[in-house]
Amino acid sequence: MTDLGIAIDSSTEAGGRGAFRMFLRNKAAVAGLVVFTFIVLVTIFGPAIYGQEAHKMAAGPFLGPGDDAGPLLGTDYLGRDILAGVITGGRTTLFVAAVAGSMAMGLGLVVGSLAGYFGGWIDALLMRFTEIFQAMPSLLFSLVLIYLMGPGTWKETLAIGLTLWALPARLTRAEFLRVREMEFVKASRAIGSNDLRIMTRTILPNAMPPLLVAATLLVVIAILFHAGLAFLGMVDINTISWGSIMGKNRNYTLTAWWTVAFPGIAIVITGLSIALIGDGLQDAFNPKLRGR
Amino acid sequence: MNQMFYRWMKIVTLLAALSLFSAACGSSDSDSDSSSSSSSDSSSTAASDDAPAASDDAPAASDDAPAAEEEATSGPAAPQPKHGGTLVIATTQVGANVNHGVNSGIGIAQPSSKIFASLTHLDSNWEPQPYLAESWEVSDDSLTITFHLVEGATFHDGAPITSADVKFSIEVIQANHPFTGMWGPLESIDTPDDLTVVLHLATPHPALWIAVSDVMMPVMPKHIMDDGTPINEMKGHPNNVEGAIGSGPFRLTEYENTQKIVLERYENFFIPDRPYLDKIIYVIVPDEDATMLGLESGEYDSGGYASVINAEKVSNNPDLVAIPDLLGGVGSLNHLQFNMANSIMSDLRVRQAIAYTIDRDYVINTLHQGQTMELLGGIHPSSPFYNEDVERYDVDLDKARSLLYDAGYGDGLDLRINYIPGPNEQQRNVAEYIALALDEVGINVEVMQSADLPSWAGIFFGGPDAWHMTMNAYFNWGDPVIGVQRAYVCANIRPGVFVNNSAYCNEKVDELLYAAAAEPDVAKRKALYDEFQVITAIELPFYGINALPIFGANQLYVRDQPDGAWGPLSGMENIWLDK
Repeated sequence: MTDLGIAIDSSTEAGGRGAFRMFLRNKAAVAGLVVFTFIVLVTIFGPAIYGQEAHKMAAGPFLGPGDDAGPLLGTDYLGRDILAGVITGGRTTLFVAAVAGSMAMGLGLVVGSLAGYFGGWIDALLMRFTEIFQAMPSLLFSLVLIYLMGPGTWKETLAIGLTLWALPARLTRAEFLRVREMEFVKASRAIGSNDLRIMTRTILPNAMPPLLVAATLLVVIAILFHAGLAFLGMVDINTISWGSIMGKNRNYTLTAWWTVAFPGIAIVITGLSIALIGDGLQDAFNPKLRGR
Repeated sequence: MNQMFYRWMKIVTLLAALSLFSAACGSSDSDSDSSSSSSSDSSSTAASDDAPAASDDAPAASDDAPAAEEEATSGPAAPQPKHGGTLVIATTQVGANVNHGVNSGIGIAQPSSKIFASLTHLDSNWEPQPYLAESWEVSDDSLTITFHLVEGATFHDGAPITSADVKFSIEVIQANHPFTGMWGPLESIDTPDDLTVVLHLATPHPALWIAVSDVMMPVMPKHIMDDGTPINEMKGHPNNVEGAIGSGPFRLTEYENTQKIVLERYENFFIPDRPYLDKIIYVIVPDEDATMLGLESGEYDSGGYASVINAEKVSNNPDLVAIPDLLGGVGSLNHLQFNMANSIMSDLRVRQAIAYTIDRDYVINTLHQGQTMELLGGIHPSSPFYNEDVERYDVDLDKARSLLYDAGYGDGLDLRINYIPGPNEQQRNVAEYIALALDEVGINVEVMQSADLPSWAGIFFGGPDAWHMTMNAYFNWGDPVIGVQRAYVCANIRPGVFVNNSAYCNEKVDELLYAAAAEPDVAKRKALYDEFQVITAIELPFYGINALPIFGANQLYVRDQPDGAWGPLSGMENIWLDK
């Protein structure tokens, strides 16, 4: 543990560079990063390049992929282009996932670090509160929130973000509990740093590695949550997302598989690539693997 | 960390899968094949062979024998009906109770028509056939109708069914049922003896023969329901739910209104040797694909669905019998309804602009793959009173734009459309198409979805600003007096029930509808309804899209599916299972 080589009150600069080398050594993680970068670029620039507007009718309904009369990946029940939908829908899905993931991570960091650093009754209070959220099935909780607030991209983001913070909160607390007893923290306190400085500048950077990995997982979970909500028909049907394409075509799964399969594949590939990146980060930050 | 990821993945997948398929596992029993009471050799001629004594202008008793009896006479090859078995029916419809006398709706009508018997059956030619009433007479002026009840008929608790029960039932229906037109001209009811009911009418009332038939006239037990509950609060009476005592061929034995409804054979039913089935189980399956899978696997014996893709699939499946329209005489009208109480939508030019923009042919021929019928007039196309010679509003985008300009919306307009949760192809898909189409003329339409019927109804009944337009389906319910008139007359502008929710009011239309309701001559009646449809097609409280079929499928061994006007919304005492 102590061979992390991190100086008192330093950033993770040196460790960061080493970690990046470790990350590059993990082929799967690099592949994940490449794929994910590609997906992000496609969702940003794809719609303009592809041209077909995703919400407009492009051809007749229910044309299969490869059907000469229709676009490459076929059309849905209104004759909308599935490929255009997948390209455009990624924006909403990734946006919701990124914002909801950050929201959950942020909330979790604040709650977890306060609980872990101060301990005592603050810890007890915050952790009981966290347990309330942990005890509830998150997807059902999201469903209830959306049912109460109504659909809409921001509301969906909020509903997902508000239900996922318990996991990072517990993790942050555990890391803070571990790090706060270390020598360099005591040293930092000895030279007169205040609580905020110790928390943000001393403990947090050293607690960061597992939290970064957790953050990637949160994004994956948020993608799946949004897809799940959309599949159940609980999201705004005027906004195109991978999940909403699947949800709207749910009734045609047996008869027009392509309407559900391609957005589903997009979700799987994105989720997998982010998970691989997370895996790589975990390896990169694992001191036991360093120098191998 | 990986473990955690996989655990989450599992949870999410499981939850999604669970909620999707929980629908499918409502019930999985079709066990009791015990062929009880094997006295099927008798094949006794039921009450229906003696032709009803009808007179002059009443819908005459048809001379062709009721279809139900055909199997007994159609040669040696036809299999003999057998007793026993359980019929498992998958349905998407949920009802608030099981008594169609106090509420309307398919979800209520399905079990109600089995639990409660009516005075007559309607056959496939819309002619009344004997049921609880074995015969009837109509006076020369069509104002007095006398029904004679079957002797020895009993309720499920053994009490005899008398004329007092019939009188009471009509009073309950009058006081509670939303179809006020059914019994409008009724002046008084006499019950000279236990088996005779005499109806006195103020004006001739052709729709009466619908009102006394199958699903519209559940005969309820007066000795149970007349317990001090005010007559107009019978909606809340406990005899409408679990433990209901009825008069029909099947008893209610289990009632979980969003899960399943179990009906069991009533041993002392007034038609001897009927019903054939031991049990009918309605399984509520909200998802159409789950219904299809259940039909294909044999889990369900019968089921309904609305998707044209599934209709094609069933007709190509040799193991299933396709039923073209499961709802029979209900006659569902699929239309875009406008909220004329709203300040924007009250402008005829806006409604006309919308009508000029929507391509009805595209909806029917492309979205519905030609499997539905176009709807131009306000009455169901299968009705003799349907008029297709009305304003069609063929697509004309320039005209639509100029109408909008004249109405002061040249710069565009923001509207909302929602849709009644139901068959996606009929409602949601059309609503989404309309939103796309209206975009072309500068109307920006937001599609609103409702999670379930109550939340949609909350918006629908929410007043002038709650909604602009909605894809809605009204049921014709046999006669225009019942299902159509209610949606147009000024007196029916009231929230909370499915009546005139467009807030449409035209005195001329009122006059036509009231005159047609009391017109005994069919040709004159048609002329009145024709004119009504011409006016309303122009003034657009509704823009008709299509007639909405509910397709059905049966397993091959389901025999003698009711073929009367009400289809499966009848007693089903003649259905049997050939297995």
